[in-house]
Amino acid sequence: MPEHQKHSTTEKSGSDSSLGRRAFLRRVSAAGAAISAVMVGVPVLRAFVSPALQRPKPDVWIKVADDIALLDVGTPVRVTFVQTVQDAWLESRALNGVWLFTEDGEKFKAYNGHCTHLGCSYIYDKVRQGFFCPCHHGQFDVKTGAVLAGPPPRPLDELPVEVRDSAVYVQYRDYRLGIPDKIEA
Amino acid sequence: MRRMFRWLDERVDLAGVRRVLLDRKMPGGLTWWHTFGSATLAVFAVQVTTGVVLAMYYSPSPDHAYDSVRYLGHSVMSGAMLRGLHHWGASAMVVLVLAHMIRVFSMGAYKYPREVNWLLGVGLFFVVMGFGFTGYLLPWDQKAYWATQVGTNIAGTTPIIGATLVKLLRGGTQLGAATLARFYALHVLVLPLSLGLIVMVHLALVVRQGIAPRAATLEKDAPPRTTDAAYPEYYHDRYEKSKGAGVRFWPDIIAKDLVVAAGVILVLVLLAHFAGAGLEAPADPTDTAYVPRPEWYFLPFYQLLKLVPGSLEAAVAAGLPAVLVLVLLMLPFFDRRSMRSLAHRPIARLSLFGVLGASAFLIGASVRDEPPAVPPEVGRPLTSVERAGRALFKAQQCGSCHAVAGVSSPERNADVPDAPDLTTIGLIHSASWMHSFMEEPTRFHADSKMPSFGPPTLTHEEIEEISQYLASLRGPNGDTKQPQFVDTFPEPKKPQEKP
Repeated sequence: MPEHQKHSTTEKSGSDSSLGRRAFLRRVSAAGAAISAVMVGVPVLRAFVSPALQRPKPDVWIKVADDIALLDVGTPVRVTFVQTVQDAWLESRALNGVWLFTEDGEKFKAYNGHCTHLGCSYIYDKVRQGFFCPCHHGQFDVKTGAVLAGPPPRPLDELPVEVRDSAVYVQYRDYRLGIPDKIEA
Repeated sequence: MRRMFRWLDERVDLAGVRRVLLDRKMPGGLTWWHTFGSATLAVFAVQVTTGVVLAMYYSPSPDHAYDSVRYLGHSVMSGAMLRGLHHWGASAMVVLVLAHMIRVFSMGAYKYPREVNWLLGVGLFFVVMGFGFTGYLLPWDQKAYWATQVGTNIAGTTPIIGATLVKLLRGGTQLGAATLARFYALHVLVLPLSLGLIVMVHLALVVRQGIAPRAATLEKDAPPRTTDAAYPEYYHDRYEKSKGAGVRFWPDIIAKDLVVAAGVILVLVLLAHFAGAGLEAPADPTDTAYVPRPEWYFLPFYQLLKLVPGSLEAAVAAGLPAVLVLVLLMLPFFDRRSMRSLAHRPIARLSLFGVLGASAFLIGASVRDEPPAVPPEVGRPLTSVERAGRALFKAQQCGSCHAVAGVSSPERNADVPDAPDLTTIGLIHSASWMHSFMEEPTRFHADSKMPSFGPPTLTHEEIEEISQYLASLRGPNGDTKQPQFVDTFPEPKKPQEKP
């Protein structure tokens, strides 16, 4: 006869001492389960969330142009560079681009090459003399990066830029896309 | 909470589930020995949870496997602990499964009516061994690579199907990318699914049939054989009576199980913390000096293969596992006497202690045989010239006279016990001096027993390769030491020494 047909009532009767024993055993079970779960769960969870808690990488200046004399004045220039990126256990190379803009040939502005809307690469529209994103027709001002038209939620992401020995250096960063605030990704 | 319970209870009969699973009565006299099965289940849960996160940081390709494992240890929070838990958890699985099997065997619990559950348990045992074998390769370090090389080669000695079997295991003729991907798929997909399914049936049967009572309660006045017509009735009658003295599964038994589980996991945490999982140098298929050793639970088999003569090796390598499978599977069918206690089963007692003793002896012998640990390659990786030199060093069997880092060939030449140890030769002689010496040793030491390796034995390029390799030998922490060359060249000197 199968097991489950045999005792159909859940016995609640019993002396006080047996109730006390059962309560004690329940507590022992709970403690055993909780201790086991913590011992395994803590390292498992820590390892799982580890990437979300990584410290930001130190800033690196990347040389994007050798000689400022060769850059156009008044017209933005797109420069690309290869960056060695530590991608978890892989060392990979990423091709990134920034737009450089100068009005006087001395002071430069650098914009991250991705549109702040959804990350498409925008282009310079010579006719309108502004940045234009072909994906959803966002438009940006060349001098300030401000949004002129279209869906982008914030101005272009300006990057720290420096001129040393007539070479242009940029601290390349990516920011979270599609939101009004400029938050590093 | 209470309302939710009632709502569900009306629909899915939770109280019924509780009655069947938790309130079921257990036979009296269950011991702590009865917790091995549930402890195995607890460790399996540990393996699954740690394994899932390990898989998130693992790349099953020879190019990246090792780096990804190292990345986990260095750059992921609790990564080393996670690996340690999984590594020691694997050993714990084997220990607990064996302990559970021994418990079931010595209490005769595999006899009527639990033959089927014994078979499922045997299946689980082999799945666990499969986990060990496939998981061992994944870090792709020296130990992993060479142990799997040997493991698959053993399978290759199987008569008739050997060659096919090796290709099947390796996903090709050579151990490589396809092997790693294959082992990974088996380890994380096939084996966990198989284990999970078999465990479910295994446990369902335990619930259905109830756990086996003490051996003594089923021996008094028992029909002599479990196949006797009167036996089932006798058994059920006795079993019902044994439950009179028993307790309920919840919380009595569960409390015991959970205490043991917590204890086992605590031991795993301590082992993971203090001993860790270890990671040797990356797998190097050109390194022929590496002495591979399997994980400890394969050692009895490994050691046994060393002891059998070559002509019998194939028979033992393929035959022993086959016999083991057969014996374990057939056990409940040829052992039909109704005696359950080990005290009343002399043959079972003898076989159990025989197998345990022999395994312990073989593991002991294997541990004694253990070669001194090869220090991992320290400092910079070898250049291509030095690698070529190392290959030549082995091909020319320099190791049959000279030891490097405590390793010399097994067929070491006894005539030349005073051949110098070359472990730190790179600190003592320059490459150019060694080049000249190898070409004509007697020019340096008139009574040198070393044969000349100059042309035509080896070309100048080859000698140079060996010299470069030898110059790279500086022992542990050699890169921090400054070489003190004691090169002296004999008088009529042809080669000039570079500073």
